[in-house]
Amino acid sequence: MTRESDRDELASGYVLGTLSAAQRREVEAQLLQDAELRARVQALEAQLLPLTRLAEPVEPSPSLWPRIQASLNFAGNSLRQGWSWWTSLGLWRGLTAGGFATAAVLAFVLLTQQPADTRFVVVLAAPQDQSPGWVVQASTNRQLKLIPLQALEVPADKSLQFWTKLDSWSGPKSLGLVKPGQALNVALDQLPPLEANQLFEITLEPYNGSPLNRPTGPVLHIGRAVKVM
Amino acid sequence: MPPNAPTGFDHAAALAAIARGSESELQRLYQHEARFLLGVAMRIVRDRALAEDVLHDAFIAIWHKADSYDASKGEARGWIYAIVRHKALNLVRSSLRLVPADEEVIEAIEAEHAVASLADAFAIEADLGRLQGCLERLDTAKRNSILYAYVDGCTHGEIAQRLQSPLGTVKAWIKRGLASLKECMS
Repeated sequence: MTRESDRDELASGYVLGTLSAAQRREVEAQLLQDAELRARVQALEAQLLPLTRLAEPVEPSPSLWPRIQASLNFAGNSLRQGWSWWTSLGLWRGLTAGGFATAAVLAFVLLTQQPADTRFVVVLAAPQDQSPGWVVQASTNRQLKLIPLQALEVPADKSLQFWTKLDSWSGPKSLGLVKPGQALNVALDQLPPLEANQLFEITLEPYNGSPLNRPTGPVLHIGRAVKVM
Repeated sequence: MPPNAPTGFDHAAALAAIARGSESELQRLYQHEARFLLGVAMRIVRDRALAEDVLHDAFIAIWHKADSYDASKGEARGWIYAIVRHKALNLVRSSLRLVPADEEVIEAIEAEHAVASLADAFAIEADLGRLQGCLERLDTAKRNSILYAYVDGCTHGEIAQRLQSPLGTVKAWIKRGLASLKECMS
């Protein structure tokens, strides 16, 4: 049983923020089952809340809300109940750090954590540093969803264009224009059904897209479809 | 209106709507609070990109946990701020804290805080309601210790360094300062 003075000290340290990471984890675990401790923490939080006004407001960058929204859409309503791996800070930090290993881990996590109806997954990574920029999910081989993992800055006179190519095709086919930081649903009406190893890429094109029936600008992100077992 | 509710925004109603799955309410909450919440996170993590990561995670958590908010346990606005603060604190207390390697930054911080134990480190310009009077009744060292911890996310060690005082003294200031605050507030 935790003594009263211990409870007070834990609650104070937790709310003020002076505890170590390990102590914070212990308190968070204890909070789940110790109603007394919970009451103390809540009382102190309420008393000290006005102190949050001592921090000057900071305007968030315009890309932050789209990023939150993308994470929500990505998580999907069916997963609303549980905590989702892709919303964790660690993953985001890993993604911005880049590296092919991250892309591989992401692909693995996608494969093992996806809703059962996901048939194909593609991680689109930057060719230079392999940092992942987009994920494609397909629950049928006629319909896919492109989901942003980062908000790209695109010059006002440029557009992002989404392409796919099968090895047997002579060149890529356009799947349409993409807005940075926004998810896109694509129906493969005019194209053959999705196949494993199918290539997907996002290129930087003139405003409103490539003037030709093929990409003309640099590849920003590229990846191949993996079939979910 | 309570001193800590700067506008008529109804946080409890927003959480209730978010719990029912309203993304537009979450966005309204974001539009209303994001700059204040980001300010709170920035002071603790001291890095804009990390602070935005904290806010991202906090809004995802608000979305997922809104249905667990219990109005009998405290006001909704406090519930939201607590999520942001604890995410920020968990981040800086984990080994991931980015220490400013820039010598100029370190020197600036040291210069700023060289006399901090004697002078008020915080200019309290916001209206803190009843807490304000109680804070003002504390002596400067206790007040600074509490504010360094709560607002700036400092550990006991960091506060000792800033106030150039022994660790044990800082711990005692915080303990006694908080006890006085609680008594004054109750």
